[in-house]
Amino acid sequence: MNFDWMTAHVGMPLLKILILLVPVFTVVAYMVWFERRVLGFFQSRLGPNRVGPLGLIQPIADGLKLLLKEDVVPANARPFLFKIAPIFSFFPAFVGFAVITWALPWVTASGKTHGFVVADVDLGLLVILALSSMGIFGILLGGWSSGSKYPLFGSLRSASQMLAYEVPLTFSVLSVFLLAGSFRMSDIVAAQQKLGWYFLFPGIVAFGVYLVAAVAETNRTPFDLPEGESEIIGFHTEYSGMRFAFYFVAEYANVVLTSVLAAALFLGGYDIPFVDDAALYAAHPALTSILGVTAYAVKGAVFAFFFVWIRATWPRYRYDQLLRIGWFVLFPLALFNLLLAALFRLWLLR
Amino acid sequence: MAADRTDLSVTSPLREVLESREVELNLGPQHPATHGVYRAIVRLDGEKVVGIKSVIGYLHRGIEKWAEYRTWTQATPIFDRLDYLGAVLNCHGYVGAVEKILGVEVPKKAQYIRVVLDELQRIASHLLWLGTHGLDVGAQSVLFYAVREREAIMDLFEAMLGQRLLPNAYPIGGVRFDFPRGWVPVCRKFLAEFPKKVDDYETLLTTNRIWVQRTKGVGVVSAEEAVALSLSGPTLRGSGVNFDVRKAIPYSSYEDFDFEVPLGQNGDVYDRYLCRIREMRQSVRIIQQALDGMPEGELKGKVGRIIRPPMGEAYFTVEAAKGQLGYYIVSDGAEKPWRVHVRAPSFINLQGMETMCKGGLIADVVAVIGSIDIVLGEVDR
Repeated sequence: MNFDWMTAHVGMPLLKILILLVPVFTVVAYMVWFERRVLGFFQSRLGPNRVGPLGLIQPIADGLKLLLKEDVVPANARPFLFKIAPIFSFFPAFVGFAVITWALPWVTASGKTHGFVVADVDLGLLVILALSSMGIFGILLGGWSSGSKYPLFGSLRSASQMLAYEVPLTFSVLSVFLLAGSFRMSDIVAAQQKLGWYFLFPGIVAFGVYLVAAVAETNRTPFDLPEGESEIIGFHTEYSGMRFAFYFVAEYANVVLTSVLAAALFLGGYDIPFVDDAALYAAHPALTSILGVTAYAVKGAVFAFFFVWIRATWPRYRYDQLLRIGWFVLFPLALFNLLLAALFRLWLLR
Repeated sequence: MAADRTDLSVTSPLREVLESREVELNLGPQHPATHGVYRAIVRLDGEKVVGIKSVIGYLHRGIEKWAEYRTWTQATPIFDRLDYLGAVLNCHGYVGAVEKILGVEVPKKAQYIRVVLDELQRIASHLLWLGTHGLDVGAQSVLFYAVREREAIMDLFEAMLGQRLLPNAYPIGGVRFDFPRGWVPVCRKFLAEFPKKVDDYETLLTTNRIWVQRTKGVGVVSAEEAVALSLSGPTLRGSGVNFDVRKAIPYSSYEDFDFEVPLGQNGDVYDRYLCRIREMRQSVRIIQQALDGMPEGELKGKVGRIIRPPMGEAYFTVEAAKGQLGYYIVSDGAEKPWRVHVRAPSFINLQGMETMCKGGLIADVVAVIGSIDIVLGEVDR
């Protein structure tokens, strides 16, 4: 176990995690700000604009406020589970970012490649799916261990919602896998670059299914039943202070993650539109990376805006309606789409 | 739409193995969708409502009793606080009852001014209902649009009556002031723009698939049941019963105006919603006619400074925003009322809860509470 090994297997990953976490945390915090501002403009008001210029310090103020709040554990709760449940939601939401590739890898003169990714796992997509299922455990545990009826209803809803929407989500992602032939995030983008089209076009049905299922997966309007503010207050009714903040941040981290994922799967990720990336890379590697990350961020922001837009426009579905859409509409559609993708793969992508 | 509701109950033999029992859920008095301190004890089988019991009284302030310790005039402002979102209409009801027992003739001009203010108040009340109802069902933006327009009405009240929410609008016998200078053009401008805003709300809700699915076939109350429960206002008319106090027992010159009474067919949340939306459009028509045909004349009938109605009783009803608002007053010939009883529409409409909610889901309970349009100040009094 020499120094080089330590650098390659401990030092570099840690450094990469740090480099990734800071922007991700910032983006997630500002997702809250973004949503509140955009909702404000949708609703003929301004949104938070007092703390700092354009209200930009608002996320920090909110975080501080929650940090200083008392941490209440209800008498009926199961203290241990109640305390660790938010962590179950919090961590998977952030770990998912590790397998996302952010730009074309750099090839140094000596032939070594440095990927813009913390863990370039060949099953990257599956890792994200698995993690997003894990996040539900936090909601289930939190609602159940609160020892209160409203959170219990929240987690019951969450459980059936997860079952109903995880499957279509997975199937829509599977069709991308069929088109790309790999679960590795960088391969998926590379396949789109090679094809010359983004998977949005051959996978338009998958895209639709993914969007709907992703909204449900992140528990947002019109599928925000586990929260269902005006009905059952939500699975986190009994939570306060930082533990509540964990759930809150996890929700927004999931929004950012699904937006980024959607951008990679259907809009070509860090591929710069209308430009031959390989040629540009040969000429200006640094510029390509910067433009690539920017293009990726813009594509992700489009989805993030879409999430907020839906929230401003639509009412909430009812429990039974939600399940019916999941099982009777999305699921068959996703299956049908899988068939389409397979045929497309068979005849057109050979 | 009956087939629209999937049966979620477990029907397999599992049911016998797995023990399942009903849960009692306390909806309120602190709950975001109960519009105040209303409490419903809901018995649930899963998410299905098996039984519902209303618990009220958290906002009881003894308004009727309070009135007995004030003179007839002094008692007027307290009735603004019944349905605090329709204060002008409450005031009209009480003042009308006292005028009836006194036998005072309200001048035509005052009657027309009252119609203008009443209908503005009806629009304001319906707007707040629309916003909160939308919010209950999950459409949050509508609230902000509705409040924006309501604000314009509040400004009109402030300019004319000096107060926004509880203006103590009418004295016994007429009105206090004529419209201030410049008020009528502002009002007309609002009336001209308002129908377009209603169109906007309708684009967000009326044809929205989710909204329709959430409200159609939900909280159904048939015409017979509605009459038997003594429901009134849009809650009754949503079931297709044509009863509007303004048409049935015209008061304050309502017979002069040409307007329709919107009726529903199915008696579900959606029809009650449509009724109120259309009522707002009709109110605009009424105000425009009242402003156009505004007669000249006195503002106040012949009422003495000290009011001593003859011994006896009187009952006077108006069509308030929530339904038929009635005042039953008894005088023993003194300066103070001997008894004032209020027939509060919210209170009586709330009786429909059980009929409307049974067999629905929790989410439906919230939609139904919104569609009845209760104001707890009026329920508890």
